[in-house]
This record gives sequence, C-alpha cells and structure tokens, in this order.
Amino acid sequence: MRPDVYTGKIIASMRNLLSVFYLCLLLASCSQSGKAVYSDNNCKLVPPFVGRLGFDKRKSYFSTSEKKIMGLVLLEATDPQNEQAGATKKYQDSSWKKAGWLAPIQLDNRGNIFTAPAPFINVLNNPAADQNTIYKIDGETGTMSPFLRLPPADSATDQNAYGIIGMVYLCSSGSLYVSTIAGSNRRYEKGCIYQVNSVTGKIENRLTGMDVLGMGIAYTSGERRLYFGKARTSDVYSIALTEKGSFTGKPQPEFSLSGLGARGDDKVRRIKTDKNGNLLVYGMEFNFNLVAPSEKQETVYQFAYNAEKKQWTLVD
Amino acid sequence: MRQYPIVFFFGMAVFFSCSNNNNAASTPVAGYDDNALTAVIADADSLKTFDFIAPVVEDIKTALRQPTPILLCRDSLNPQQKLAQIIALFDTVFTQSVREKDTKRPYRCEIFGVYPARESDMAYVKMPYQLQDCYRVEMYNYALNSTATAIADIKQQKVLANGYQLQAQPDIPLYLKNLATKIAVSSAEVQRAMGIKPEEKDALMASTKTSLNRSRCERSGHLCVAPTFVKNDKALWAIVDLTGFTLSGVRWTSTGATGPAPLVTERKLQDDKITACFCELETPLQKDGWKMEYMLTSSDGLRITNVSFNGKPVLQSAKLVDWHVSYSGTDGFGYSDAVGCPYFSQAAVIAFNPPAIRSLTENNRNAGFILEQSFRSEQWPSPCNYNYVQRYEFYKDGRFRVAAASLGRGCGNDGTYRPVFRIAFAAEQNNFAEWNGNGWNNWEREKWQQQMATTNYTPEGYEYKLTDNSGSGYYIEPGKGQFADGGRGDNAYVYTTINKPADEGESDMVTIGPCCNTDYHQGPEKFIEPVPEDIHNKKLVVWYVAQLKNDNTKGSEYCWAESVLENGVYVTKTYPGFCGPMFIPVK
Repeated sequence: MRPDVYTGKIIASMRNLLSVFYLCLLLASCSQSGKAVYSDNNCKLVPPFVGRLGFDKRKSYFSTSEKKIMGLVLLEATDPQNEQAGATKKYQDSSWKKAGWLAPIQLDNRGNIFTAPAPFINVLNNPAADQNTIYKIDGETGTMSPFLRLPPADSATDQNAYGIIGMVYLCSSGSLYVSTIAGSNRRYEKGCIYQVNSVTGKIENRLTGMDVLGMGIAYTSGERRLYFGKARTSDVYSIALTEKGSFTGKPQPEFSLSGLGARGDDKVRRIKTDKNGNLLVYGMEFNFNLVAPSEKQETVYQFAYNAEKKQWTLVD
Repeated sequence: MRQYPIVFFFGMAVFFSCSNNNNAASTPVAGYDDNALTAVIADADSLKTFDFIAPVVEDIKTALRQPTPILLCRDSLNPQQKLAQIIALFDTVFTQSVREKDTKRPYRCEIFGVYPARESDMAYVKMPYQLQDCYRVEMYNYALNSTATAIADIKQQKVLANGYQLQAQPDIPLYLKNLATKIAVSSAEVQRAMGIKPEEKDALMASTKTSLNRSRCERSGHLCVAPTFVKNDKALWAIVDLTGFTLSGVRWTSTGATGPAPLVTERKLQDDKITACFCELETPLQKDGWKMEYMLTSSDGLRITNVSFNGKPVLQSAKLVDWHVSYSGTDGFGYSDAVGCPYFSQAAVIAFNPPAIRSLTENNRNAGFILEQSFRSEQWPSPCNYNYVQRYEFYKDGRFRVAAASLGRGCGNDGTYRPVFRIAFAAEQNNFAEWNGNGWNNWEREKWQQQMATTNYTPEGYEYKLTDNSGSGYYIEPGKGQFADGGRGDNAYVYTTINKPADEGESDMVTIGPCCNTDYHQGPEKFIEPVPEDIHNKKLVVWYVAQLKNDNTKGSEYCWAESVLENGVYVTKTYPGFCGPMFIPVK
C-alpha cells in the first residue's frame, strides 16, 4: 500500500473513531442530564409567626387531628421525642376553623402552610361546595384564606363525603401535589392528582381517573418520582416527575400493603423517606365512609429499594 | 398550502391535549360479582357450637382453673420440646399477660407450638448458647388477640429472650386446623353452598399443602382460619372462628389461573355482602298482610318505602336520619352520627350484618314480624364507640312501630342519645291532632311539641292522631316505658311538616343537626321555621326525636355495654335503651 493512501486511511479511521467517541460522550451527557439530583425533599420552614406568638420553633407543630378542636391548631410539645407527653401550649387563630374540619397539612420553603377541609364523623361543618378548596395560612401573618378552588366534581354523590384528601410538596420546583376524590362513588373512580404552583396557584398538570389517598416523593435510582397509594386498594404506584415537577410517563405499580399488618387491607395515608432512602409508608383503614376510630389505627411499613431486582421489599 | 400548517398545528394540539391526559376523567369500577351476592354471613342468633366442641371447652375450663392457666400444646412434642415448654411456663415474663391486670382473672391462653430455634430468633440474645439446645415457644392469648414468644434453652434450663405482639397470631397447631375443618364440614351453610355434606378430606386443595387459607376476623378480634373447598373452577371459603368455635360465614372465590387468591376475611365478607345485596338493591318484603321495600342507605339507616297493609298504602317511607349524642359533663362535646352502609357512605357507624327478619311475639303469641338492623363502631364496646339498633315492628292487626335502641357504650355515663326518625305518610291529604285531655285538637300549622310529664294521653295512651279525609289513619303512642323492651320513656320531640315534592328529607340526608342541642333544635325545625305552613289536608311527615339518658349504675344499666371475661375471653353484655312510637289504626 502506498504510505500516503495508508496514512489517509488511518486518518479517516481516526476521524470515524473520534466521531463515535464524541457521539458516545454526547449520549452519556444526555442520559446524565436526565438523572435527578438527589434531594431529601425536606425544605419546610417554620412559619415566622410561630416565634412571634411566643412558641418555641424547635418544639412546635401543627395539627388538624385534635378531636375536640375543629380546624388547624398550633401546639408546642412537652417533649418532642415523646408523643404521649402532650402539649404545653395551644393556639388557634380565628381564621383556622372557618373551613371546618381539616386534614392534610404541607409547609413550603417560605413558611406558608397549605391545608384542605375533610369531614370528621359528619359533614355538618364541611359543606360539599368547599371540599375541593386548598387553603393557605400565610407564614408572616398567620391568617388562613382560600388559595385555590380545584375544579369541582362533575356530579354530587351521597356515597362519598370527601374531596381533597392528600398533599405533598416538591421543594425543587415549589409544586404542591393535591389528590382529590370528589365525586367518586362505588361505580366510578373520578379522583385526580393536581400539580399546583404553590406561588401562583396555577394548575400545571393533572393525573385523572384515579382515587389516590396518600403520597410522597422519593429519589430512586436517579429518578424523581411521586409515590401514591390508591384509595380503593392497598396498592402503591409511582410516576416520574420532570425537573419542573410535571408528570412524565405512565404510573407504574410498585408494591402493595395487602395482607400486611394488623388489618391486612391498609390504604396509604402518606409516604416519607428516611435518611437511608427507604420509604416509610403510613397505612390506615379507609373505606370511603365517615368512621372515625376512637383509637388511631395506623401502621408504619418500611420498604427498601433493591437496585438489582429493581423493586421495593418490605423491611419492617 | 396555507391550510396545511393550520391542520398540522391543530392535530398537534389535539395530540398533546390527549396525551397530557394520562387517563380518562373517570374510570368505571367493576361491580359486585355473584360471589359477593351469594356469600352468607352466619346469623349471630343462630351461632351454635357442635357436640364435638364440648370436650374442647371442658379442657379450656380445666386449664383456666390452674395456677398457670395455660393450655399446653396439643400437637405431639418430643421430650426436648416438652422440656422447652415447661421452661417457658416458669418464666414470669412469658406468663405476665395470662391474667387480667386488675382482677387477676385468667385469660384463655394456649401454647400453639414449640419449634427448634432459628438463628434469626437469637438476634437479641446476649448470653452464650448452642442453637441446637434452643426452642421457640409460641403462646396465643385469645382474649387479647396477642402472641407471646420465649426462646427456651433446655441445656441452661432458662429463657434467653422474650417477645410479645398485640394483634398477632402464631401458626396454628394441627389439631386446631383439624377442628376448623370439622366445624366447616358440619355447618349447614357450607353444606348448602356445596350442595352436599363435604368430607374433611375435601378441604384439601390439590395444588397446595394446606387445607386452610389464612383469614382474619378483624371485627371480633378472634382467631379465624378458612378451610377451603374447591368445586369446579371456584373455591368456597368457610371462615371458622376458633375463639368461638363457630362458622362466621362462607364465600366463593374464583380460582384464577394466575395470581394469589384474594384474601377472604370477616370484614370483607360482611362489607361486600351487605353492600352488594342491601346498599345497591331495594329488597321487597311481603308478610302478614304487610308489603314494602327496604334498603340500607348511605347515611339514613335502614329505610322502608311503599309500605302498605292489606293493599292500603300506609307509609311513603320511614328512616333514621341521625343519632345525636351529647355529654352533659362537657359543654358542646358529643357526636352527630349518621348510620348506614359500610362502603361509600356518609355513615360514621356502619352495618356489620344484613337486615334481619324475626318473629314478633306479644303475650306469648306470634303477633307479626320485626325488621331489624344493627350498626356498630368497630371497637365497640370500648369507650367512645357505639352500637345502634334500628327496628320496625309490623303487627298482624295493622299496628306498626318505628323504634331504635342505643347499646352504648359512648364516652361516659353522662350521655343523652337523640335518634331522629323521619316518617312520611302515604296519604295525600292528612290532618294532625293532639289529645288535650278532653278531645282532639287539630294542628293548623307545621309545629313541634315535646312529650313532658304533664302531657295528656287518651285512656289508651295515645297522644296524637293522623287521619285522612275518610277518617282512617293512625293514633300515635309515644314510648313511656310500656312496650316491654326495657324502654324508660322517650321524652320525645314530635314535629309535623308538609311532605313537599322539593325533597325535604326524602332522599338521603346529610347530618340534619348538631350533637349537643338540648332543646327542640334537633334539625327538623329547619322545615318549619321561620314561617310554619298550613298543614290542613296536606301530605305530612312526622319527625320523632326521642331522648335517652344513659345509665351505668350497677343493676340499672341503660344504653350501656361492657366487656366481661367469660371462660377466658371477653364477651359483651348489653343493656339496650329502646325508644320509638307505636302507630295504631284508627277504627
């Protein structure tokens, strides 16, 4: 072979190799830029008004489940490590009971609180017209006011008194995910998860046709996912979230609480993650009625992710 | 050419809006299948035991009389296992929950198994041991539904570790599995469902090693298993209660080719059956000259509709709208409970069993029939849990009664129960009158009135009369403790309103009133105030709100319930407080 031809061939091969190399680099960088940066999603800020009320921020918490006090209550724990020790102080702004009995509570990274009404034992203080309203307690003033009315159910039903039932906040995008089961009945699942901009109150995305009870956010194998439990079964699903918090892809089944625990048919009330990345799944009884057990019926299940099998397994 | 971009973008818009909706706006859910409809919940009144249970019960009673009241393991044990069992019985931690704390009365406890210890059992053992010397002893407490475990070292002759779990049940010993199967094959419900009396060996499922499926009795808190019988492509689950030695119910499931069989439990059996059969369907009833339909509602209890007697319409409907429960010791504290269906309802206290039809006896003779429904909180009779009974009595002579009872327990002994009945009469034109001591005084307008100590009654005990233009109708006799049901008198508020087409309560009502008003503001006054209407010759609704004060005085209990330990397990003693008016035909 002539040296110039040989050299030309070598140079051409090297150019091809370099192209392949650059292509690989490009592909790798593309796939890496799709990976979510891990976060513990814990950005909640204690509202500034708490300190101004003379409460110790380290010991204070909000509750909507005080049986004899309707609405939201601010409490200062006697011993934060011991739930049984009770509270030394209580406070309730007059605006905090105007929406009736409340249920989910979420704090954002500015100290604002989001909540929603849910009936307790009866609907006397929870009119159906407000069941899909998100309320916000301003972190500075401590005053509660309506934040956003989600679209109402297409029809009323006497088979289900609930509207908004679950909430979770995504720190990275400031999105509030709100699940509502308004209008669902025995025959039709009409629930929806809304992605709401916590600053503007704009609905940015929605996942329809599913009754979802509790939710949580976890970063698993480089993916940011919203985990949610169905309200009718013990099954847990997840869906990927983009950087802006939008739903992407289809919901996929993850695991089930069926047969587990004292009750065997728990539904997911909420999902948290621990420092090891395990899911802490709070399960409780829920049958679309207004039964309110005198003793709290809740079990916490711990699930760990098996990266090899790509599945969650029960730890505890 | 200009159209193409428009078409293109329109198509893209459609595509993206469809793809942004990940699911349809509503998803239909499959209804209840035949298996739910044909399930049988054993009638609590007829829960009988069997002759072969008697020696089992005797063994239990004998064990309860021992200083360490524990039934020993009845499966065969080798000498090492027997020694491990004895070591555990002498361990005070293992046996600390075999007696009631305050009274020291024995619980029914039984050693279910003694197994060679596994490495995983030794996680909390600090002292040295040889695994082959260690055994895990498991004891079940029937009263508390709890399991105690002990790791016994037969060489060191001591317990190395203890465990205790509430609402947990160990693996069931073979003799109990056999007993459960025997109960199942001996039960009439199983024989009816199978069409034959199955043999015990028929409980064996060819594809599995065990004849028993695990089950749960979540509501009774009892130990339950489910012998299962396969017939063609279905499996019959017979839920056997091994605490009470009875059958709880039966249900078929389809034996699918893939996936685990759905778990059939006491609660699922009850809820599915009740919802499928009584919450979604009106059931016709014809008996003793009476004809009607009945149905369990979302929040108004058991409703009867289109009631007629000997072909003559009597009631459009009757139902129980709310129970208001107030506590005098705490201002404003109480509950306004709706009663109704177990799933998809606005009921706070739900139906556990189907409606029951029973014979009505008066003066030792069959006088008609009762249609009855109970509603319960799951943790009753614990404090702040409730049990209500709703009862319609239909007499062969044309009388009928709308009644209810509270079976406690409530949050204290200072409670007052106020059931709100709505009784809508069928006649298009009615008039309402009260007895004034001398004669009948017509009510001209919508009105309410309270039954007091000074109230006038006719010599027969009637307070009101509701008649149509032909003069036929009913006298109304409020409860004064005269109905031989333990009632102490109703102190009732009676309201009369016009039955309007614009639905003043005919369809399922949300909670009509708050818990804790102690006057006539119980809810029906909304349909009277502010301007009561003329009720002369109108279609009428009578609302009746009784007031029952509970009582836990020993020997004089009323609207009360308590758990008592009997043969080592808790049974509930009830003291019902009945109320409700009788309607007597005007002749």
